[in-house]
Amino acid sequence: MSGVSGEASDGAPPGWALLSCSSGTAVASVCIFGVFDLQALVGGVWSVAAVVMAGLLCQLLARRVARLYAVCPSGAGLIAQISRALGRSAALIAVLPYLLLTLCLVGAESALCGLVLAQVLPIPAPLGSLLFLGATWALCRRGVRLGQVAQAVCTGALFIGLIGLATALMIDTASRGLLLARLSAPTPSFAALAAATGQALFLFMGFELVTFQAGGRAPQRVGAVLGLSVALLTGFYAAVALGIACLPVAFERGVLAAPQMLLAGHGGGKVAMVAIGAVSLLASYTSFNGALLALSRLAAALSAQGLLPRALARVEPRSQVPRRALDALLVVSVAATAIVLTSGAILPPILAAAAAAAAMYAAAALARERPPFREDHRGRARRGLGMVFAGGLVVLGIGAVLDAPSLRDLIAAVSLLALAYAGALALARRAARRRSHG
Amino acid sequence: MTTLRQATEAFVAVYHARPRLVADLADWSLRIELRIAGGGEAVAVRIDHGRVVAIEDPPGAGRADLVVTAAASVLLEVLALRMSPNEPYLFGELLVDGPEAAFLRLDYLVTALCPE
Repeated sequence: MSGVSGEASDGAPPGWALLSCSSGTAVASVCIFGVFDLQALVGGVWSVAAVVMAGLLCQLLARRVARLYAVCPSGAGLIAQISRALGRSAALIAVLPYLLLTLCLVGAESALCGLVLAQVLPIPAPLGSLLFLGATWALCRRGVRLGQVAQAVCTGALFIGLIGLATALMIDTASRGLLLARLSAPTPSFAALAAATGQALFLFMGFELVTFQAGGRAPQRVGAVLGLSVALLTGFYAAVALGIACLPVAFERGVLAAPQMLLAGHGGGKVAMVAIGAVSLLASYTSFNGALLALSRLAAALSAQGLLPRALARVEPRSQVPRRALDALLVVSVAATAIVLTSGAILPPILAAAAAAAAMYAAAALARERPPFREDHRGRARRGLGMVFAGGLVVLGIGAVLDAPSLRDLIAAVSLLALAYAGALALARRAARRRSHG
Repeated sequence: MTTLRQATEAFVAVYHARPRLVADLADWSLRIELRIAGGGEAVAVRIDHGRVVAIEDPPGAGRADLVVTAAASVLLEVLALRMSPNEPYLFGELLVDGPEAAFLRLDYLVTALCPE
């Protein structure tokens, strides 16, 4: 723990900066929507149970990611570590769909940002989405990154703001004697609770990206931060889920809406709406900015290897940013946003991303049980449990997709997954052919 | 003279033969250590305003700004401009200890020198 609060004399960012990066990257508007959707899926206190179970699974995962980073301290993240244990092709197939579906999530995220902007400014939601995408892309293209302090302030403000609103709602509901009624819900089936837990895994997506920030240094501090971040996120989402459960509204799955504004509207009025709108936009910016930077760098690296068009590999010498890759990502993000806004189908990218995240985390858990990450003294029973854990993650991810509320959402989520895995498979084959030809 | 030093000298000669690239990196001054994984050979390269001013074999005392560690075959492939450092980095075969920005610049330099 000392590493978390200590000075960063090793050149890595200090613990508080890593913690705000890890938890800040994981929280975005689409996550609050995800918590709202859990309420519609299982209801009342069961949505909190789903969040807590997903948090416990991610806590186990955090220990595995910490081990991977301690042995292979790479800033490239899980793709590097999975590759070391399972090979390059397996790493590409495990990680690329997750990253590709992040772009679809960006579509959902910017659609929600448009809704947030439309509630605080006199502009239509599509224009708000375009403004959000354009501004984030332009800043990213110039190599602008949010500083450590600014990131910590944004994350802290969002956490404090939403937890405060949720608490105010709970107190208000309790004072009217309605708390038990709002929190109690029919006991869901085991399958429904498992699907909700699988979907809740997506809320934690990105917590492992702290390894990018640490840049190959401070493995002990990174290990501590991973665990702390999951604990913090679990507490945050559980509080928000409790607050949402207290809202006097009918919950319906898959309806495009910005639930944080609903929470703000009921919990604090217009001032709270403007404040929560501002901090949630900043949180969305930090998530999107991180996704754009990581994805553009990966796209540039794959292009340099001849796996994607070589033009995308070009890096601008001053900002060290692959601008053409960023331009391509903007086009994809705008298309994804347009699809979400015109179809209103916000749930399919969330469900598909949840399944892809679960599969990638399962690959990380498998990698931990293989050399060079497995300790010589690690017994068969523990290795077996590790395999069961990996298998369980995959089952939960599949369950989240199968429990889609409508056939349309199910087909759309499965199609997104099929496209992402087909793309990853094609790239992995191309990379293998290229390597075998020397 | 070690194999790593030979490969590094050859790399530096190719780099210095590209004055526009050196000028592009004129604001770059740092010390980079190249290490063969498993406690093998190591060299340090001192860069001052974009030009390589010293190759230390073995590296002298003092902290390097960027430490790049990989198997001998990987490091020699990169120095021979047959591979950009980002490729093995992405797949965990090349580890970097130091600021990401410095590694991105190093990757930019190698990629700019690599034949299309």
